[in-house]
Amino acid sequence: MKVVFVEQDRCLACRNCERVCSFQDSRGFNREDANIWVHIDMDARTIFTLTCQQCEIAVCLEVCPVGAINRDLDTGAVTVDETVCVGCKMCINACPFGCIHFDRAKRIVAKCNLCNGEPKCVQNCISGALHYSNINDLAAIKRKKIDKAQVRATQSQKVEKQL
Amino acid sequence: MKVRTVIPDGVVPTLCRMCDTRCAINVHIKDGVITEITPFGGHPVNHGRMCPRGGAAIDLFYHPDRILRPLKRKDDGSFAEISYEQVLDEISTKLKTLKTEHGAHTVGAWKGEGIGFYQQEGYVRRFVRAFGSPNYFSNDSACFNGRYLGYHLVCGFWNAFPEFDRAKLILLFGTNPPMCHPPFMRELADARQNGAKLVVIDPRLNPMACYADIFAQPYPGTDGALGWGLINYLIQSKNYDSELVEQYAIGFEKIAAYAAQFTPQYVQEQSGIYAHVVEEIAQLIIKNRPDISIFPGAGLEHHENGVNSVRTLAILSCLSGALGRPCGLFRPEFMGIRELTFDREQELTGPKPIGADKFPVLHDIRKECHTMTAMNYMLGQGDYPLKGLIVTAANPAVTNPNTTKVEKALQSLDLLVVNDFFMTKTARLAHYILPAATFLEREELHFFPKYQTVNITRRIATVDGVLDEYHLWHELSQRLGFGDRYFPWKNETEVNQWLLEPTGVTVEFLRDHPQGFVYKPIRYQKYLTEDLPTPTGKLEFASEYLKLLGLDEIPEYTPPFHRRKSDNRFPFVLTTGARKSLFYHSRHQNIPRFRNVHPEAEMEIHPEDAARLQITDREEVRVISEMGQLTIRASIKHPTELRRGVVEIYHGWEDWRVNFLTHDEINDPISGFPLLKAVPVRIEKLPAPIQAFTNTV
Repeated sequence: MKVVFVEQDRCLACRNCERVCSFQDSRGFNREDANIWVHIDMDARTIFTLTCQQCEIAVCLEVCPVGAINRDLDTGAVTVDETVCVGCKMCINACPFGCIHFDRAKRIVAKCNLCNGEPKCVQNCISGALHYSNINDLAAIKRKKIDKAQVRATQSQKVEKQL
Repeated sequence: MKVRTVIPDGVVPTLCRMCDTRCAINVHIKDGVITEITPFGGHPVNHGRMCPRGGAAIDLFYHPDRILRPLKRKDDGSFAEISYEQVLDEISTKLKTLKTEHGAHTVGAWKGEGIGFYQQEGYVRRFVRAFGSPNYFSNDSACFNGRYLGYHLVCGFWNAFPEFDRAKLILLFGTNPPMCHPPFMRELADARQNGAKLVVIDPRLNPMACYADIFAQPYPGTDGALGWGLINYLIQSKNYDSELVEQYAIGFEKIAAYAAQFTPQYVQEQSGIYAHVVEEIAQLIIKNRPDISIFPGAGLEHHENGVNSVRTLAILSCLSGALGRPCGLFRPEFMGIRELTFDREQELTGPKPIGADKFPVLHDIRKECHTMTAMNYMLGQGDYPLKGLIVTAANPAVTNPNTTKVEKALQSLDLLVVNDFFMTKTARLAHYILPAATFLEREELHFFPKYQTVNITRRIATVDGVLDEYHLWHELSQRLGFGDRYFPWKNETEVNQWLLEPTGVTVEFLRDHPQGFVYKPIRYQKYLTEDLPTPTGKLEFASEYLKLLGLDEIPEYTPPFHRRKSDNRFPFVLTTGARKSLFYHSRHQNIPRFRNVHPEAEMEIHPEDAARLQITDREEVRVISEMGQLTIRASIKHPTELRRGVVEIYHGWEDWRVNFLTHDEINDPISGFPLLKAVPVRIEKLPAPIQAFTNTV
């Protein structure tokens, strides 16, 4: 299954993902309507981006009393059926990551549905921080980075020895 | 709005022109309606990604406020629709009258950002010269030219877009790539993942500086001092490319002697950056040279010492050995198409181009006139009057400095024609308004010198009653009697065929290459075998050309206005023009989804300054400079985001025009650039509104 994941150290906080995401539901660019969030902490000078991970055992899905949250058979996304949701907000309480929000206009909950397999946030991530891929690809990317860092470290040690 | 799409259903690849990045996009059409815009995969500029501006090109194209019919101003100031035939007849009659009664030089044309550069610029330049006037103006005389000139004076060329991903050290001065140059983001992230170091110099802390190894906030306009400090450090510690200096540069002794005073301590006094930070940056350069990318943003050029600051950085690049490197200063080659302009073949005779006497370098190198001086000519304070002006998608009533004067000048014209999509502040002053075509309605050539590729855009649709730019110039020139000679082509496709003819590449071939066609492979270190395109063929650390004009032979550092003359009346320094991700200068404010993100103008201020003035967040304040005043909401930033004593206001707002505050006559002596990024101002708290007594409980 493919999910949207973030290579955190590539995100430069342009916030394009938030905007195009909110447009999917609301036709506007209000940050409150987005299902992906770029958090900039100016005290710590950090950038952290988060979206729904489409959990294998999704507590939002399990807790929904009316069966409005289901798994999409094609994409594997955990999706909200807008015609069934009663707006009880139990899923928001249950989600450990804060990745479901309440849509003020529609009075129901909203979450990432992977744009039916063509996530807009990824299309609009110019820095290449967002990927729509198998999560193990993220692990591979991280391993590669460690590998590169190791190579760099040994190279600089060699140089120092030569000097 | 009647729209005819190029095909009734399907997907057409083209280039976006919502900003000058020009990403490759796919335009989706269904039943004759443009329904969606998605990124095109496989183009080197955007690698299958795009930004929200691209998707919103639909909002621009179908905007309900778009001007779709020519308009003529009536005596009472309102506008009435007239036919295309009539508007072109009336404009050409007036142009003819101005030419016979006052001379062709009393008419000018002004190319704006809204319709794009390159080919559109070519049409405007060609028209002006064919008409017989030397007065070509553009938005570039307040943006871009400063850096263009700075690099040209040292190296003879400027490649604005080095390959950052191949650098080991990147130094960004006064720029915010996620907002101004989105594709830089991917390259910067790649570079950092490969272990590159990042240094960001900016009075404003933008989020991407969270990743900087060194972030330093100088006083606005003092980058030149830092540049000299780094040059001095490299020379003193003998860590510079001595081979390059000996074989390819002139003036090294002069810069070495001048640089000596710029000790880290002196740089600290001038720029407000700690001496030890200056040393740390210099050490990073020494450690990583020659694989160094130095990128100056528009933040550097909007000062009266801007060109010299840029020259200093160009010299720093060369000393570090980055000349000719992929990540540094390499000189791209051009395709060798025909040129629409004929400035080079035909010498100008008759009255001088406006501003060429005051800013000769601007006209020598860019062949364009100085828009700030043009205002004086319109007001009858020049060597001759400027009476007629055709403006294509420029908005000087918002974006040129000293708005009060600009409005007065434009109002005093005998003929002002504005070609634009919307009723801008400038269009409101026009005698005639013409409906402009968006980029989705044009077929034109686009070049990407960094990759040495060429693209042709596709005409996705035509809008009933809207002529593309080429047809506008074609029709006007026919009526003025030089159409057959200078604009003989029936349509843009014929123009493109004529332009491409010497290269052997055809329009059809380019249409089949939406991923871009590499016209020549890149050769990096050309300077080793070929002369540089400077007057001497060498790197000009010292410029004889400038010396003869009475300008600084070497890029001496002059402290900015606000550091030279402290004025108790104006204790704050205003910088204008930090980019917003969704607007492009004065464009796109009327796109509703963008306005969600940037609903109104704000003045960014440091929390300590706000506290001292007893200003709360979102409170309206009055900002006053020598030139004028503006009422605007304050936005209190995080203490790290701005230097104390510095406030910032965006430059493109139609309803909050910051250029009421900026100076048009404090200019860089080389480029003529106005002072936009270090304007002395004061901030006043507005008196509390009088509370009305009410009897309600």
